[in-house]
Amino acid sequence: MTQGTNEKSTAPVHRKPLAGAFRRVRVSSETIQLLVLAVILFVFFSIIVEKFLTVRSITSMGFQMPELGVLTLAMMISIYTGGINLSVNATSNLAAVLAGFFMVKFIPKDAAGAVVTLYLAVAFLIAIAVGWLCGMVNGLLIGYVGVPPILATLATMTLFTGISTGLTGGATVTGFPTQLSVIGAQTILGIPIPFLIFVGFTILTYILLDRTSFGFKARLLGSNPVAAEFSGIDNRAILMGAYMYSGILSAVTGLLIMGRTMSAAYEYGTTTYVLLTILICVLANVNPGMGRVIDVFIAVVILQILSTGFQMALSGVRGSTFFKDFAWGILLILVFVANYFIRGRRAQSS
Amino acid sequence: MLKKIIRTQEFIVFLILVALSLVVGIINPAFFSISTLFDTLRASIVYFIMSFGVLPLMIAGGVDISFVAIAAMTSYTTHMFLLKLGYEGGTLLYFLIAGAMGLLAGLLMGFLVTRFNLPVFNVSLALYTMWYGFNLFFIGATANFDLPKGTVGYYARFLITAQDPYVGQTGLHVSIIYAVVIGLFVWWMLKYTIIGRGLFAIGGNKEVAIRSGFNVNFIWMVAFALMGVLSAIAGVTQGFLSRYFNPVLFITQPLDVLAAIILGGASITGGRGTVIGTTLGVLLIQIINRALILTGIPVQWQKLVVGIILVVFTSIPAIRAQRARRFRRTTEAA
Repeated sequence: MTQGTNEKSTAPVHRKPLAGAFRRVRVSSETIQLLVLAVILFVFFSIIVEKFLTVRSITSMGFQMPELGVLTLAMMISIYTGGINLSVNATSNLAAVLAGFFMVKFIPKDAAGAVVTLYLAVAFLIAIAVGWLCGMVNGLLIGYVGVPPILATLATMTLFTGISTGLTGGATVTGFPTQLSVIGAQTILGIPIPFLIFVGFTILTYILLDRTSFGFKARLLGSNPVAAEFSGIDNRAILMGAYMYSGILSAVTGLLIMGRTMSAAYEYGTTTYVLLTILICVLANVNPGMGRVIDVFIAVVILQILSTGFQMALSGVRGSTFFKDFAWGILLILVFVANYFIRGRRAQSS
Repeated sequence: MLKKIIRTQEFIVFLILVALSLVVGIINPAFFSISTLFDTLRASIVYFIMSFGVLPLMIAGGVDISFVAIAAMTSYTTHMFLLKLGYEGGTLLYFLIAGAMGLLAGLLMGFLVTRFNLPVFNVSLALYTMWYGFNLFFIGATANFDLPKGTVGYYARFLITAQDPYVGQTGLHVSIIYAVVIGLFVWWMLKYTIIGRGLFAIGGNKEVAIRSGFNVNFIWMVAFALMGVLSAIAGVTQGFLSRYFNPVLFITQPLDVLAAIILGGASITGGRGTVIGTTLGVLLIQIINRALILTGIPVQWQKLVVGIILVVFTSIPAIRAQRARRFRRTTEAA
């Protein structure tokens, strides 16, 4: 995908450079646009819905957002490297199911609190390992065998879901220790813990993409795989790493879902959930070699505001979630068109 | 000439299809029956029609998801609308109304893509969400089984009937004709019209196509309009075949259709694709689904088997491409 050589497009908005450690941080116009959109929506719903601007409602949004948020980060890194990862949801469920099996099978019924926590930690490690392995499968197929990412991850999505279905026989895994709900339903200083986890991984992803050589190479790979290859970058290794990280983030999402629902199943989410993460990435201007983690974060917030906002506004009317979908689709198109005009009709390659 | 055919992706898919059928047939001879053939074709009809609509777009380099939403929206809206009017007639009016809606939906998408230079995939994701939301919120959220009197019996209208040792009376449904006619039309369009060749040109290299004088915007509009109409036809056909209209029809299946088209030899970046390949791809996916049931693999493990098959089948063309690359001269573009 070639960018136009129009200077206007990549130059940052002119503002006084900040001093000290923040010197290199510049806020782009796209981020500002998203922030403005988020604020407008927030104000809009606060006015329309009387209970929107309450601690309870905001906290509840803070609980719902992280699952979708971390999953979207998993999707983002695949798009960033020029691909896509349709298997994120399947990986998340598989990781949760396997961690769940471990907990149900191995945690002694009458164990003390500290022991249980230890088992929990092991279960978390198992989930992460599963996510990492799933990512490795994707990385092998996409990086080394050369299967187009959309096809490879479609296949692995079926594969991973198949493993979950086979192992569980379709049933839901339950019977987890109550300590698990810490990551799903508890707060620290009034802030939901899953939200903190989401913020933590957002920062981690930012550091990974913006401040490491891996991230730098990933950006080059996404922009122009051929040039990257000839520049001495090991494309296959970078792709492998990217999909492994994507898998790990998916596994974390699985843990978050497990923490909230206290159960694990092969079927949580579904294709539409995956498409939702892609939509959020599109809103956040994530493209091969381009995209900011902060934009993704704000885009997730926007979706959450819309979702909760419409749900509360239309709580009397049946099917409020459906209206949210309708509105979300239209909103996206409006954003696309607005971007077209704001960028001064710069030609975008399809 | 024969050598050229053998080297194509389409031929490989054909071989896989034959091989798979043989393996399943050996495990369970019930597979080799007329009813399997007719049932597989019956299940494939709507997927044929939809994928023939998506193929031109993919050849031009556009990946589209919204076709399933258009199928659901046009068929369900037409049905609920006619139901309200107390319509008692036959199927033709359904096709006409839904087809017109599909045409408009396709033109809308074409307008957004060409006027604002937006990536097809992004617009299609937005429209996918929008049309299903529209369907569910404004039209209705439940499946509807009240078919007009004039359409009752359509589902069993067979072209050919036959006696099958396992299920008794079975038949090939009339609507296969639609699929065949549409397939022939799309094949003819791709091969013998400027619009069709233009699609390949755009998919191969859009800039070159523009400078060669192709009216790229017009070609896109035609392709989108066609996709809209064909998706609508597929949606209505599915409604009559299954005897109910579903607001979330095909919602989980756009990726499966795309997979079938790509397995059948179309390139996801555009510039390559055939009707026959798409047909084979759809058949392959259908037979895999059917074969699993007939081989007696426990239900809970069926998905895993499909997954393994998909992983293997998507790797084959990739490995072939790698070997081809190894033999190419380094002076050629990568």
